[in-house]
Amino acid sequence: MYRYDEFDHKLVADRVDQFRGQVERRVSGALTEDQFKPLRLMNGVYLQLHAYMLRVAIPYGTLRSEQMRMLAHIARKYDRGYGHFTTRQNIQYNWPALDQIPDLLDELASVEMHAIQTSGNCIRNVTSDQYAGAINDEIEDPRIISEIIRQWSTFHPEFTYLPRKFKIAVTGHVNDRAAIKLHDIGIVVKQNDAGEVGYEVHVGGGQGRTPFVAKKMNAFVPKAKLLAYLEAVMRVYNMLGRRDNSYKARIKILVHETGEDEMRRLVEAEFAKIDASQMLTVPQEEIDRISAYFAPPAFETLPADSDGFTKAQTADADFARFVRANVVAHKQAGYAIVNISLKPIGGVPGDATDAQMDVIADLAEHYSLDEVRVTHEQNLVLPHVQLDDLKTVYDVLAANQLATANLGLISDQIACPGLDYCNLANARSIPLAQEISERFADLDRQYDIGELKIKISGCINACGHHHVGHIGILGVDKKGTEFYQISLGGAADENAAIGQITGRAFTEEDIVDAIETVVTTYTDLRTDGERFIDTYNRVGMEPFKERLYD
Amino acid sequence: MTDYHLVIDGATTPETWSYIDDDAPLNDAPIISLGRLKDQADALRARGGKLGVVLQADDPDKTRGKTSMGEDVHELAPYLDMLSLVSIAFPIYRNGRGYSAARVLRQELNFTGELRASGDVLYDQWAMMNRCGINAFELAGDVSLETFKTALGELSGAYQPAADQQRGALWARGK
Ligand code: HEM
Ligand code: SF4
Repeated sequence: MYRYDEFDHKLVADRVDQFRGQVERRVSGALTEDQFKPLRLMNGVYLQLHAYMLRVAIPYGTLRSEQMRMLAHIARKYDRGYGHFTTRQNIQYNWPALDQIPDLLDELASVEMHAIQTSGNCIRNVTSDQYAGAINDEIEDPRIISEIIRQWSTFHPEFTYLPRKFKIAVTGHVNDRAAIKLHDIGIVVKQNDAGEVGYEVHVGGGQGRTPFVAKKMNAFVPKAKLLAYLEAVMRVYNMLGRRDNSYKARIKILVHETGEDEMRRLVEAEFAKIDASQMLTVPQEEIDRISAYFAPPAFETLPADSDGFTKAQTADADFARFVRANVVAHKQAGYAIVNISLKPIGGVPGDATDAQMDVIADLAEHYSLDEVRVTHEQNLVLPHVQLDDLKTVYDVLAANQLATANLGLISDQIACPGLDYCNLANARSIPLAQEISERFADLDRQYDIGELKIKISGCINACGHHHVGHIGILGVDKKGTEFYQISLGGAADENAAIGQITGRAFTEEDIVDAIETVVTTYTDLRTDGERFIDTYNRVGMEPFKERLYD
Repeated sequence: MTDYHLVIDGATTPETWSYIDDDAPLNDAPIISLGRLKDQADALRARGGKLGVVLQADDPDKTRGKTSMGEDVHELAPYLDMLSLVSIAFPIYRNGRGYSAARVLRQELNFTGELRASGDVLYDQWAMMNRCGINAFELAGDVSLETFKTALGELSGAYQPAADQQRGALWARGK
């Protein structure tokens, strides 16, 4: 994992001092709320329905155990004993007091963490694959280039007042777990015929009220030139992106209105100039320095199978179910990737208590080579667990309500904060997610249904990714009553797609039944081994519509 | 009289220029619009003498189409030999188009004259403007030079190169 050097430490400390000064100027009245707003946003401080909220960056979703422990401490000391892991691999605290935030940031800085650029119209915290460095067949650990992008984009003087927020995601694997095609820039690590590593760059994806899947802008940008290429994209966007209407200000709209080919021409022209100047060509020594931090950890040489592990599954059916749903093969023999679902039946998706975070930190320290990951689907991962330790880890998780065996299943939903927290909401999201998860609580039924991603947003801003849910649910408002619209066929992976709306919206009373109808339509129609999304792609919308609306 | 005071290269400096409306006669040191510069380029070149231009980040007339982009900094290229000042307008601090214009002027078009920030030029943006190559600032009346220098020094380093002297840690480490 990346470790700060003196330079990183000093800059983060400077930033906390700077923000302390800004808070003082706001409190004294020297700054108006309007002038303070972009400053606090750039430091992760949002104003929401009830209070200020702080979003802490977890770059590319990777944490050390001491960092997880600090997150637990902050939940205890500055919040009400919990934190909320977000769809951008960050953690959010809903109740910190503004005047305490500089102290909180000081504490974060002591473990090399910060809240820099987690909101505001700047380049946001870079996200990546939660299985980085643990999964088989990765071309390169995506965190290497993510860290380089993190540094380049931090306090970038030219791109701090962009037309709108800007999100970059990276995957190093053909199976995209980072939803890269739904980002302003999505990057796929590639290898060319000469065996060199470079990057395929997609531009202009996004959700919100006008969702777009990103367009492939360049099939292979060499490693040392990626920053020059990104700077070219950013400059074209900063100069030409719309500022007259915040709903049309994202780069997806620029790409759409300019046209993919013309956008490519503009970017390539800018890229040629920056590349010729060589000023952004990253030196090989620096690439090597950063790569070294992500060298594989000290794995032990182990047999591929573990007797104890096999026996434990026979002896404990719940453990066997957990393994089946939440455990993924590791690239290293004798190890496994363990997913921790933050979607207990009837719980709030993504929430964890301070005690749970401490438990996970301990598990990471003792059983996962000190690492924890956060996923964009609001779950956590212990990336490097020995098969021999799996049962022990499971038992601790189970004792702390952290062993729900539902990864990727119907109750593993994304839900935005919705009407309970958000002043833009048309409808509640969290209570609906809870009702759906209660309805489908029976795990055997969930396994029978198989992989099915439900994503819920309380309004068209799409924080809950409803456009890319296999089943998406959107809260709409009709004369002050909450209604829910269903869409089908969305996907956030390498086959990214925007879902299609089924038809008229459902009332609060009817929505869970409607979801049940969609699910039974699928189970009636599926062929052997077909997932929901495969069936939908084969049979299309009509059969679902018929069952939903007659 | 102006409603700002001027800091150039870190020193308080008296204003010697003035913004001139499109239909007003020129003086010794006029800052004119891009439109006038383009319309009267030949006459202005023949006139000789000091000339400055202001680049707008907004385009209320949407001359570049429905997307209301600002004025295009590249349009200054043919005239840079006659310009000793470019003033980049920041209509509101959160419109950051001018940061790119400044870098293009300095690093692509190699403009070496005075590069000014005008308009909504506030404390928390000065350091970034400076890094993008802006060396002259029109500051609200009551800002002290000391405050200005504090703002510029709040962050002790930079990760990325820009238009100033800092190389960026990604390039300078281990050197
Ligand atoms: C007070 C609560 C919140 C408010 C008022 C809010 C507001 C918004 C708005 C206005 C947008 C649309 C921006 C745009 O596309 O231009 C948006 C997008 C988004 N928000 Fe939120 N949000 C809130 C909480 C959250 C939370 C808690 C999460 C994460 C769990 C989140 C994740 C996202 C994501 C992923 C997007 C989609 C960005 C895209 O278009 O790619 N938001 N939010
Ligand atoms: S989707 Fe809408 S309701 Fe949900 S958090 Fe975002 S803005 Fe609020």
